[in-house]
This record gives sequence, C-alpha cells and structure tokens, in this order.
Amino acid sequence: MRKALVWLGLAMMGLVALPAAPAPAADLEKVRISIIPIGDVAPLFAAVQNGYFREVGLEIDTTPSAGGAAGIPGLVGGSFDIAYGNVVSALLAAQQGLDVKVIAAGTNVTDPKLDATGIFAKSDSGIKSGKDLEGKSIAVNTRNNVIWLYARAWVKATGGDPERVTFKEVPFPQMEDALRQSRVDAAFMVPPFSIVAAQKGGLSKVGMPYSDVQPGVDVGQYITTGKLLAARPDTVKKFVAALRKGIEWYNANLTNEALLTLISGYTKADVALLKLAPVPTAPVRSDISQIRKTMQLMIESKLLPAPLDLDKIVDPLAR
Amino acid sequence: MSRRRERLGLGLLGLVSPVLVLCIWEFASRLGWTNPVLLPSPSQITAALFALMTSGAIAGPLAHTAGLFVAGYVLAVLIGVGIGIAMATSETLYGLLEPLVEIVRPIPKPALVPVLFLFLGIGKATMLTLVVLAAVFPVLISTFQGVRGLDPVLLETARTFQVSRARTIVSIILPASLPMILAGMRVSLGLALVIVILAEMLAGEDGIGFRILDLERSFQVRDMFAWIVVLVAMGGALTKLFDIAERGLVPWRGRS
Amino acid sequence: MSAMDGLAGVREKRSSRRSGPNGMDRRAYGFLLLAVLLSFWELSSRAGWIVSAYWPPVSHIFAAAIAQLAGGEILLALASTLRRAAIGYIAASVAGIVLGIVLARNRVLRYGLLPLIEIVRPMPTPAVIPPLILFLGVDDALKIFIVALASFFPIFSNTFTGVAAIDDTLIQTARTFRTSTVRLLARVVFPATLPAIAAGLRTATSLCLVVAVLSEMIAGSSGIGYYLVETQYAMRPDLMYAAVLYLAATGYALNRIFLALEARMVPWMGRS
Repeated sequence: MRKALVWLGLAMMGLVALPAAPAPAADLEKVRISIIPIGDVAPLFAAVQNGYFREVGLEIDTTPSAGGAAGIPGLVGGSFDIAYGNVVSALLAAQQGLDVKVIAAGTNVTDPKLDATGIFAKSDSGIKSGKDLEGKSIAVNTRNNVIWLYARAWVKATGGDPERVTFKEVPFPQMEDALRQSRVDAAFMVPPFSIVAAQKGGLSKVGMPYSDVQPGVDVGQYITTGKLLAARPDTVKKFVAALRKGIEWYNANLTNEALLTLISGYTKADVALLKLAPVPTAPVRSDISQIRKTMQLMIESKLLPAPLDLDKIVDPLAR
Repeated sequence: MSRRRERLGLGLLGLVSPVLVLCIWEFASRLGWTNPVLLPSPSQITAALFALMTSGAIAGPLAHTAGLFVAGYVLAVLIGVGIGIAMATSETLYGLLEPLVEIVRPIPKPALVPVLFLFLGIGKATMLTLVVLAAVFPVLISTFQGVRGLDPVLLETARTFQVSRARTIVSIILPASLPMILAGMRVSLGLALVIVILAEMLAGEDGIGFRILDLERSFQVRDMFAWIVVLVAMGGALTKLFDIAERGLVPWRGRS
Repeated sequence: MSAMDGLAGVREKRSSRRSGPNGMDRRAYGFLLLAVLLSFWELSSRAGWIVSAYWPPVSHIFAAAIAQLAGGEILLALASTLRRAAIGYIAASVAGIVLGIVLARNRVLRYGLLPLIEIVRPMPTPAVIPPLILFLGVDDALKIFIVALASFFPIFSNTFTGVAAIDDTLIQTARTFRTSTVRLLARVVFPATLPAIAAGLRTATSLCLVVAVLSEMIAGSSGIGYYLVETQYAMRPDLMYAAVLYLAATGYALNRIFLALEARMVPWMGRS
C-alpha cells in the first residue's frame, strides 16, 4: 500500500510540476493579449515575428479564444491586458458600465472585392434578398453580436423585416452542413468557411452584409480597460506603435507567401486553404464615424437603449 | 442514525451561516469593496429575481430546462436499466456490447458535440442525445453490477419453478437490484443537470443555460446571477425529490 | 463498487466463475460489431453518402492520430489538461476528505458550513463558468478552480456519510483508551472511512477530466479541450476526431489506474 501511495504521489507531482508557460525573456515588459485565431490578427503576429514589439521593450503573450467569447470577459477578469474583439461586444460592455477603451483598429471592410464574408443560401432555394427570407431562418454564430447585427441590417436593407426572420445560433464550422441539410435557409459565413462552402457548389452568396450595409465598417478593434490605460499609458502607446508597424508590413505583403505561412502558423489552417481567400487590407486607424454608424444600428435593433459617448470609448490613440 | 436526522433537518440554526454570508456580501457591496458591475449585491440580485418572477419571464426558460432534463433523464434511465439487465442476463449481448460501451463511456461527452451537430442538427435532438449519452452510463453500469451481484440461488429458484424470463426480470431481478439502480440514478441525476445546462449553452434557443450565457455575453450580470439562483433552486429541488422517492422505494436503505 | 467504474470488475469475477469456451469468444462479436461500424463510417465518407467537411474517413483519423503523436503536440495538450485536472483533483481531495471528516465529527462546524455546502452543491458546473470568468479570468486559476469545485462534492459527501456510518462502538472503544481527537481521527475514523472515501475519489476521477476539458472548451487557450475547438475552426476534423480518441483512451486509462491503486490501497474493500 505504501509503495502504491508513493507512486501515486510521484505521478501527481510530475503532472503538477509540468511547466505552465515558458518564462518571459528578461527586461521585456509582458503584455497579455486575447486574440481570435483568424486572419484578422495577422498584423499583430507579423509585428511579433518581425520583432517590432521587442524593439520597444514588449513581450507579447497571446491567448487564442475561438470566436473571441473569452476576450472582453477575460479582460475584465484581469487575465489579459488587451483583447482583440468586435465592436458590438465592446459597446455592449461599455453600456453595462465596464470601463473599456478602444486603443487600436483591427479589421475593417472597405473593398467589396476583398470581402470574403457573406450570406449564403442554397442555389436552388430562390433566395436573393432579405424579403425572401421573411418567415425563414438565418444562421449566425452568436446572437446579439456583430454578425447578428449586420445580418439583421442586411435583411432590412434588402426589403425584409428582421423581426420576421429567425436567427439561429450555429457555430461557424457547422454552418455549411446546417445549410446543406436545410436546417437553416441562409447563413452569414466568414472565411475560411465561406470560401470552402462556395467552392463545393450548390450554395451561392446572396449578399455581403458588411459591404452592402456599411462600406468601411470597423469590425474589430484592440480593446483595453481605462484602468490599465491610466496605470501603464506608455506600455499601451508602445503597443500601438509596434502594432502599426506590423499593420504596415502586413499591408505591404498582402500577396506574399510568407504572410499565409504566418497565418497558418497560429490558425492551424492549411496554407492551401488560406490561398483560396483574398487577403484584405488592414486599417491603421479607427474611424469613429463608422463606429457611430454601428452604434446607430445597435440602437435600432434594441441592443442599446441610447447613444454612448464614443469619444470616451475610442481613445485618441486609436484615431 | 441520529446524525442523519441532524443533517437533513439542521432547522433554523442551519440558516445562520447562509444569512451571515449574505449580510457580509451585502455590506461589502454597499461599502464599495466589490465592483458592482461584476458582483451585484444580494439585494440587487433578489430584485432582479423578483422582476423575473413577476413579469413571468421565468416560465419559458424554466420549462425548457426542466422539460429537457425530465425527457433526457427518463430516457437515460430506461435505456440504462434495459441495456444493463440485457447485458447482465445474456452472455451474447454482453459480448456484443461490452467493447462499444467501454469505448464510448470514457469519452467526455462535450467532445461529441460536433458529431451530433452534423447528424442531428443544432437543436432539440442534439441536446436530448447529449443528455442521454451523459446520463445513461452510470445507470447502465450500476444496473449491470446490481443484477450480476444477485444471489445465484434466487435465479436458480426461479428457473426451478419455470418462471418465464420476462417475469423473472420484472418480479425478481428488478426489485432485487433496485438499490444499485437507484445508486446509479443518483449519479446520473447530477450529470444530467450539468449536461442539460451545457447543451442549452451550446445548442439551445432557450432555457436557463442559454440565458446565462447570453446575459454574460452582453454583460448583464444581475440578471445572470438571478438565473443562477433559479438554477440552484431547481437543482436542489430535484435532488430533494430524488431523496424522497428513494426513501419511498427502498425504505430499508440509508443514503449512500 | 460505484456507478462510475466499469464493467471490468464484474467481468473478472464472472470469467473465473464461468470460464467456458464462451467467456472471451463472445467479446469477439463486440469487436466485430465495432469493425463493422468503423468500415461503415469509412465507406459513408468515401462513397459520399455523407457529404460534410466534418466527416472524414476513419482511416484519415487514424493517420492523423499517428501524425499527432509524432508531432508531440497532442501530448503537450493532453499534459496541460491532465495537469489542471490533477491540481484541481488533489485540492478537492484534501479539502473534501478533511472537511468531510471534521464536519461529520464537529457539531459547531457542521452547523456553520454544511448549509453553505448544500446550497452550492446542486449548481451545475457550466453555469458558474460565465460569472467566474469575470473574477478569475480565463487562465489556470479558473480551470483548476472549476475542476476542484466539481470534484469536491462527491469526495466530501462520501467521506461525510462514511464517517457518519461508522459503528459507534469503534469510537467509544478508542475513547476509553483516552485517544486524542487528532489521533482518533487519523487512526480510527480515517481508515474506517477509507472505502467510502475511495468511492468518492473514484467518482471524482472521471469527473475531473470531463470538467477540465469542458472548461478549456468554454474559456480556452490551451489543453485538449481547446485543441478540439481550435481544430474545428481550422477545418481539420481528422485532427479533432483523433484528439477525441486520445481523450477517450486517457479517460479509460485513468479509470483503470484508479481501480488498480484502489485494489492495493483498500484491500479489505473487496469488489462489490
């Protein structure tokens, strides 16, 4: 019995002693960032890879969160210093009294030719507009978020009444199957899923909510808390400066194979798969007028009861 | 056994510590020691709960969660007891099913969600299957063990008197292995509750699990806590119901 | 014997009792059934009966499983999940056994703490993850806490009822020898409760892995639970299914290791 206990103890100690994370290099200030493992954060990884953060004395520690669900809650909970998240979540958090600040632009949709997102429907369904979808269903990854908001706006913009459309929560990876099995009538998909779905035939893109509703929409941003911004203003400034260098490198290398290899590295997606989607440019600055338009849509969809003071939420650093 | 009575009926004295904790929590909130956006005070949660109840908003999600739980749990118990008895009484069925059971059983059920989405879509069928998959194994295994652990003399006697197989199962095997079956059902009860909430979070359109996740995403913390209180009450009530039912069915057996 | 251990315990007894030519042979049908199911899967994917990016042929999954092993990535993910599960499990064991014994023997503490424990107990784990994220973040602290919370209750309840069921004569006898309270708890109460404690620990063993995976899926960043989500989003279902395979093997192995250890440590417990 004693021998067995000793073995059990040793085995457990061995497990407990496994290193949790590699120790950061000396002299570098550690910044913990929540990311979504998709193409949107490629500029951040480019800046890491090219050493831009090290140059300003920062060590970046990224934590992926599929779909970004853990981003802002984790930021509030103190797990992260900065989170990459979508504009709707940030505004919702601000509305509930959480002290969030947008410090840098992440993704926007300016060129419809590079917009790989879209509403898809079965080609033989005859669905062409929001009007056709009344009494039917659209798959969105999460209700009350940016995808849901623009799917609604698109329905309205194309002659339908969003109140008469059912929005079903379907995770992105399952959307294509749900559509082909007619469990939903349409789905708002993003790359790489939208690309793969379009390739196989039988499905067609009937609309591009971002490009159709609000060209130039600021979809994603880097967000921090007001507390951190007040306590470590220099750190945040350095972060934004290094990130901008990363964005510039990214925009200059959109067709470079090295960029796809970089994206493949943190998404685990095949380079061959990534090659199928156009790589959009990344914004250097947040456009507050675009965020205001999104806020207006949120008020129309009753996500927000009243306008928020965006000048307080979008820090001058981001503009 | 006097200790057992104490445990079940701590009485008014048992309320002292929960009330004390609530008071400390309330004071901490009022004095601003905690962040009200993250942790609302008990009075705020109570107000949110009261609003839920008076507006009737509580009915839909509660019915959804309770319905899913009852359907999944009952199905799991029926299937578990059925297969358990079948495997314990037939060598052929045992040989046929044992490898399958041993492979599926240790898989953490949340990992099967993508497969279920593919075949059953996102909705009721997937949620129900998930609950049944999670709750069936404890019942199955303990039924199997209960039946196999029966006194062979009992079964031999039945055979001597030429009692039919179906009758043997219903009037001898089932009652005799009931304590073991109930022990498995108790474990399943907790598991089923957990998985019901999880299923609603992953594939639900309604229900308490869906509500809690939805409210967290939009940072509406007070309502989220109110729903958690509802859930705790529901879980507590179900456990109590089970205790009462178990004592009624197997009065000679203490709590395990 | 509890509902959480497998068919294995009984099987051994059974085969010794009835060691005919049938005992093992019949399980061959079971493996045959598995083989048929798997070939059906392979065929359904290759022949295009089921068209989905998430339904790869079984052979691809086995190939992915071998490749994963060579890459070492899956082992790291498993190790980080097991690490969280182990820390939470150990913390829960210590807290559950100590509190179980102390609360069962001490009236004041029982009145103070038992109501609180009873209130929290029926709370389903997934429901507390969203509020806990806001306090503990999404790092190890959250996941280990959730594992510990879920594992605590079966260990505590079993210990508590185990102590309560001890024959009073045993304790009275020890008392007549003027044994100190600590000694009484350690030398008399604890050994007498060991079978009950073992039953609680066994239930917690399978729970801790499930809960660790679950917490990684909801608030992920590493570990096998996150790996499952990640590979799904990367459209690599072969890697995902292979990971499920490893996960099932791990769960199975944990259970067997526990049973083996239990048989050595609680030898008088006897099966069933």
